[in-house]
Amino acid sequence: MKEFRFKIILILGAIGLSIYLLFPTYKNYTNNKEIAKIISDRQLELKETQPSVSKIELDKIDKFVEDSIKASNPSYEIIKSKSIKLGLDLQGGMRVVLEVNTGKLLEKLAKNPDDTFHKVIVDAEKESALSNESVVEIFAGMMQTRGIRLSRYYGTVRDEDSKIIDDLNTSSEDAVARAMEIIRNRIDQYGVSEPTIQRQGSRRVIVELPGIAREEEAKQLLQGTALLQFNLVKDAQSTINIMQRIDEVLAGKTDSTVDKTKKDTSITVNDSLLNQELSPEEFAKQHPFFSVALINPNSQTADAYVSEDQKDKLQFMLSRPEVTAVIPNNVEFHFSAKPFGVQDGKSIYVLYLVNKAPELTGGVITDAQATIDPSTSGAIVNMQMNSEGASDWARITGANIGKRIAIILDGAVYSAPNVINKIPSGNSQITGMANLEEAKLLEIVLKAGALPAPVSIIEERTVGPSLGEDSIRAGLKAAIIGFLLVAIFMVFYYRRAGEIAAASLIFTVLFILGVLAGFGATLTLPGIAGIILTIGMAVDANVLIYERIREEISTGKTVKASVDSGFAKANSAIIDSNITTFLTGIILYQFGSGPVQGFALTLMIGIVASLFSALVIAKSIFNILVSKGVKINLG
Amino acid sequence: MQLFNNIKIDWLGRRKIFYSLSAVLFLIGVINVIFRGFVFGIDFKGGTEIVLQYEKPIEISNIRSLVENTSLGNLEVKTFGGETGVLLRTDLQNLPKELFPIVVANIEKAIELLYPGLSRRIVDSTVSSVTYEFPNHDTTTTLISELFNAGFQAGKVSESLDNKQMVVNVGISEWIKENLKNKITDNNFKIVKEDHVGPKIGNELKQDALIAILFSLIAILVYLAFRFKFIFALGAVVALFHDVLITLGLYATLYGVIPGLNLEIDLTVVAAFLTLVGYSVNDTVIVFDRVRENLKIHKTIPLNDVLNMSVNRTMSRTLLTGGTTLLTTLVLLLFGGEVLRAFAFTLFFGIIIGTYSSIFVASALVLEYAKRKDKKFQF
Repeated sequence: MKEFRFKIILILGAIGLSIYLLFPTYKNYTNNKEIAKIISDRQLELKETQPSVSKIELDKIDKFVEDSIKASNPSYEIIKSKSIKLGLDLQGGMRVVLEVNTGKLLEKLAKNPDDTFHKVIVDAEKESALSNESVVEIFAGMMQTRGIRLSRYYGTVRDEDSKIIDDLNTSSEDAVARAMEIIRNRIDQYGVSEPTIQRQGSRRVIVELPGIAREEEAKQLLQGTALLQFNLVKDAQSTINIMQRIDEVLAGKTDSTVDKTKKDTSITVNDSLLNQELSPEEFAKQHPFFSVALINPNSQTADAYVSEDQKDKLQFMLSRPEVTAVIPNNVEFHFSAKPFGVQDGKSIYVLYLVNKAPELTGGVITDAQATIDPSTSGAIVNMQMNSEGASDWARITGANIGKRIAIILDGAVYSAPNVINKIPSGNSQITGMANLEEAKLLEIVLKAGALPAPVSIIEERTVGPSLGEDSIRAGLKAAIIGFLLVAIFMVFYYRRAGEIAAASLIFTVLFILGVLAGFGATLTLPGIAGIILTIGMAVDANVLIYERIREEISTGKTVKASVDSGFAKANSAIIDSNITTFLTGIILYQFGSGPVQGFALTLMIGIVASLFSALVIAKSIFNILVSKGVKINLG
Repeated sequence: MQLFNNIKIDWLGRRKIFYSLSAVLFLIGVINVIFRGFVFGIDFKGGTEIVLQYEKPIEISNIRSLVENTSLGNLEVKTFGGETGVLLRTDLQNLPKELFPIVVANIEKAIELLYPGLSRRIVDSTVSSVTYEFPNHDTTTTLISELFNAGFQAGKVSESLDNKQMVVNVGISEWIKENLKNKITDNNFKIVKEDHVGPKIGNELKQDALIAILFSLIAILVYLAFRFKFIFALGAVVALFHDVLITLGLYATLYGVIPGLNLEIDLTVVAAFLTLVGYSVNDTVIVFDRVRENLKIHKTIPLNDVLNMSVNRTMSRTLLTGGTTLLTTLVLLLFGGEVLRAFAFTLFFGIIIGTYSSIFVASALVLEYAKRKDKKFQF
């Protein structure tokens, strides 16, 4: 046995690792069942007690219940992140491919466009629909054949065509970055779990939204232009006052007279807030709002800090009717778009209270650039406005020196800089960014309001959850039947050796699933097909080996010698044939998208797993049995 | 149990028979490709596809007659899965022009219902949308949400605070849904799948698919040339071409012939073809591996006999390996569900043809070459 010790450890290790990697998937499955049960119970209860609740409200409550269950036990999320993910085709959802409409962008960028220009743009767009060339190139080509220099519409008179083309290409690249930022921001606020937003090529964005229920709404979300506005941040004292009122209402203290008596000039905070003697539980009970939205009492501002897992809870609190009743209707709360920092592994967001009426909207901005200020070497963003905006801006900044103005894109606050002095020209400088990347993001945001990137949906696929469930069921059924048929055939044809092959087949499937879970890969319906196909292909190696062993035995060799040379001589055929399949797997992975990639992945993992099963596991079992003198029946 | 043990058949002497068999299969395919052509799914063609799931079983002819009046001339209607599923498809990207007045009339009706006599004007209308302008911002905003709730694809033109314009998208799928919802009232449906693919993506994918298949053939050619001899690699790749072309021909031949089998070329079918390329070469490799081994041992025996001997000795394993995989693709074909059917079909027939060509075509090609060049191989 000693000679096999290493291999046995290797095999047991691989099996143990696979089971370990798959455990979260199993646990996640049972967790989801539990949560679904709690939610459906709650729903029944709600329907009985409050039959008037609308479907949308019900959905909202469901989501809140689900979030709070998950928030109460962080292990749910950890387990989920470690389990095998299901593709959109299995869990239902929506996949949208967006393309930035370069034609529209060219129109917007052009100075004094005339009829010829419009005509050429229309032609260029038509041609680009069926061509691989970009609209910019086609447009430039068409202009050149007409003998018109691009400088007539873009840049300055002296600019060469090639420079203008470069500039236009950069603008179109920028437009994609803006579109992505806008989409990401909206999806974050819409509350889709695990969205993926990726860029494809130079002007496309792929968005995948798993489990989305109201697709029409989601589609609109993706296509609309962005709303950029500048709102005055409320002063610290009024913010604190409003927050305290909310806190009291939530705690059930409806004594609204308290607020009226507390009109002080300095920032006052309710005594019990600073009372450190309260236990966390008691504090949460007495101050439901402040236990979630944390205030720094030493700060000059009244920005509240919220950890990411509490964001939904806070939003829910703020949307409750008794709370909205105490919020004055000229102000509103907005979260920061990006986390302010990270604490205990959780991102911290900032909650701002701003004037509802914006001081200015984004249409007045003509340009923005992120750069490094040479004198302070800090990251800054320079922003320019048109003349109309500039005069408003001068008035606004002049009247609000020392106050903060929030830059809000689609309801999320990207930055809230202080007004340092009156800005007469509209050329403003925003400082305070941590690094150039942050400044770049603000540049994108500012430009998003200035120049909406018109995007159009060029591909859209929606799979309902019921079809996904049917697919999973059909796939599982086929996998089990396929497995049984192949295993029965092997046992029937090769007897004892067939049993070994069938056993190693179980391990092959286990390894495939384990690797999928370990890499956090996504299982799609074609992926399931890949596993089923692998079941049929995995025994190929066993067949090649057994046939070879039979051949060797027929030449009169001993069983031990036959097994050895059978494994050795079948090797080259097994390796060569599997490598060719693996090669096409790689190409398929490159070519495919979504579901097809899932197939390529399981196919490749399957090849490696089946080789391990046949060449290591089955061989070891053979060798151990032979060395113990067990007679192996090859049928 | 042992099958095909110790067979001694002169396969290569009969290679003319196999050539003619392959030629016949190939010709049938070519003729059908020419006269019937391929049917591409919307992945490649572009278009709109909707799958509806009704609560109760529904007559497909009933749906067909209902949508006939929707003026979408070439609207395809098929069952999907069981008796309650309906697949509707058209390769149109946009609603036909003549339908526009009806759509606009519907929007007008809805506006009249909410705000009778509201002054409005149509500022823009494209192939897929109508843009309205109203007197003030608030009415516009409420109207948009009301129309949206009523099932129209209404939205703001801009998010600016004085926006007075509303754009209503009118796509094919909205039109179909609206039509069917109003006509069958006792049997509701929900949409289980909805795909919309633009024509450009389709063209790009076609190109990508061809490139992918070519690349994998080249990769196999290079790998096998490196492991065997170039002519062996060429024989294997020609055999692969043979498999892919005959299976493609089968697609053109059998399209619409077998009920319930939807032989359209879409992305998963291309994946199946690529898998076929990768897998079908396995059996060829098994035979060639034995040829390589036998050429080393039996240096004096003529190539013809070495090839025959190798084919005969590997016959059982070639059939068994192909057989087990065939078994699983058959299971997929029967139980894998609607979405995977064409995929499973491709592999099922592809593997049959691939196994046949591995045994009878690939080696024969090597022999032809050797005879013509009067060449001997040494490994």
